Amino acid sequence: MFRSRTPVLLIAALLAPALIGLVVFRLYPVALAVSDSFFNMVRGQQLFVGFDNYLSLLSDRTFWKSMQVTFWFNLLINPIQIALALGLALLYVQQFRGVTLYRVLFLIPIGVSLPTAVIIWRIMLTQDGLVNGLIGIAGVPAQPWLTSESLALYSIIAIATWKGISYWMIFIIGGLQTISPEIYDAARLDGVKPWQRLIFITIPLLRPTLLFVLVADVSINFLLFAPIFMLTQGGPADSTNVLMYEAYKSGFIFGDMGRAMAIIVVVVAILLIIVAAQFKLLSGREARQ
Amino acid sequence: MSARSGQPGKALSLGLKHLAYLIIAFIFVLPLWWAIVSSLRPNSAIFADIFPFTPKALLPAPFTLEAYTGIFERGFGLIIANTMLVALVTMAAGLIVNGAAGFAFAMFDFKGKKFILSAIIISFMLPFEAIALPLYTVTQQLGWLDNIAALIVPSVANGLAVFLFYQFFSQVPKDYAEAARLDGVSWIDILLRIYVPLSLPTCISAALLLFIFQWEAFLWPLLAMPSQQFKVIQVGMAAFQQQYQTIWNQLFAVSVITALIPIALLLPLQRYYVQGLAGAGIKG
Repeated sequence: MFRSRTPVLLIAALLAPALIGLVVFRLYPVALAVSDSFFNMVRGQQLFVGFDNYLSLLSDRTFWKSMQVTFWFNLLINPIQIALALGLALLYVQQFRGVTLYRVLFLIPIGVSLPTAVIIWRIMLTQDGLVNGLIGIAGVPAQPWLTSESLALYSIIAIATWKGISYWMIFIIGGLQTISPEIYDAARLDGVKPWQRLIFITIPLLRPTLLFVLVADVSINFLLFAPIFMLTQGGPADSTNVLMYEAYKSGFIFGDMGRAMAIIVVVVAILLIIVAAQFKLLSGREARQ
Repeated sequence: MSARSGQPGKALSLGLKHLAYLIIAFIFVLPLWWAIVSSLRPNSAIFADIFPFTPKALLPAPFTLEAYTGIFERGFGLIIANTMLVALVTMAAGLIVNGAAGFAFAMFDFKGKKFILSAIIISFMLPFEAIALPLYTVTQQLGWLDNIAALIVPSVANGLAVFLFYQFFSQVPKDYAEAARLDGVSWIDILLRIYVPLSLPTCISAALLLFIFQWEAFLWPLLAMPSQQFKVIQVGMAAFQQQYQTIWNQLFAVSVITALIPIALLLPLQRYYVQGLAGAGIKG
């Protein structure tokens, strides 16, 4: 490129605002979370407590229950969302008359923010709401979707999935567009069936995209907060009390920032381990194009 | 997946296809549709026609606009204006800041470029929620709590937007810039006269990204504005929900307005949004 006359000052001026912003508002908070987790507020004084906040989490039953909820939630929601997003993307890229209208409709949940989706679904899921009315057609009795310990978490999964899959679909569409049609033509000549095509051609070739979606989706769902805050506040009986909500409660309701930061650090550390594992397991095996 | 066998078979498969698409589209549209319909009904009629279910439940009858006048009487107009202000300022500043950085990464080679770029990519993979709590402490240290700056400034620098611009500017042939440099055109002019006009589609996808990010922000404004003197829409909506639990039609009206503004932006510009994000996914 222009190595001989690199305008250093110009580069610095162009980069500075973005880099300073990212350092101050992304990097520094991470460092601060780690350092704050070693302190406790005692009568307005920050008191260094070392690993105490972490050690007390070890014997903290609310924390472990919350960890369990977080993992169960993620083990369900991520595979469900990715499988549905893949299916939706395969429908989106089909070409036939009238498909444009469906494409627009598929994108609608992207415009509906998660809090909005939550409010609408909350009313739809009330005892005499629309969902119970619709299942009533089939003779199914009304269900306490959000107020029962056994259903609340699954209702939240359904709401977040409704809201999320259109967004993930977009990335998968991008991946599908990179697969050359000639591969499919060759497969058709060889008499490959559609389901074989999906499993042996499309999914392997989509691997980089699916990996990206998996990592990004897990990161969001691991830290999901708004629906729990708005719908259940962790209840009933802590059945939806994910770690992110437990941290919020700790810091902003009980005023224990040290514990809150320790939980956040643990959550982000677990998340990083999961992401690293996903990269190792999924990206290595096959050559990336 | 088209079966190219004879006319009747084709018609049947096309019919089944439309049916499948219709069912899926119905699930996507139903909540918003019901919200719109219910926001146009009087509060007493929200749950009418549901038990037993009749299709009339999906029509706005009896029709009234009282829910909309009601929410504006409760000051929802100000909340919308607040959110617009935050989103538009973030968008404008974000385009300049992230566009400039993307340009620098694409045009110049310098020490540590690879490292900084990968750090930026990691930064956008980490959701905002992860740093919201510690960011609260940063904001406290800056003295910005309850200040609108706390809502705008932290969201201006956006790793994904930098990446979108970097990706776009790298694809522009370097000949343009080289020729202009030989003619003695300054870098700033090259950026403003050649690259900015070329990058209009990327500007649109980055602008949508920044706007929607702010429009949907919930946890952060909740934390950064503890006194809630200055309310943005998602927080205002959540508060409304807790305060007026059973004024269903107004709750729906609030949700409809909150949803329709980004949808009105997205539908005409969906091509840019889809292309922008889809491209980022492939590289990421």
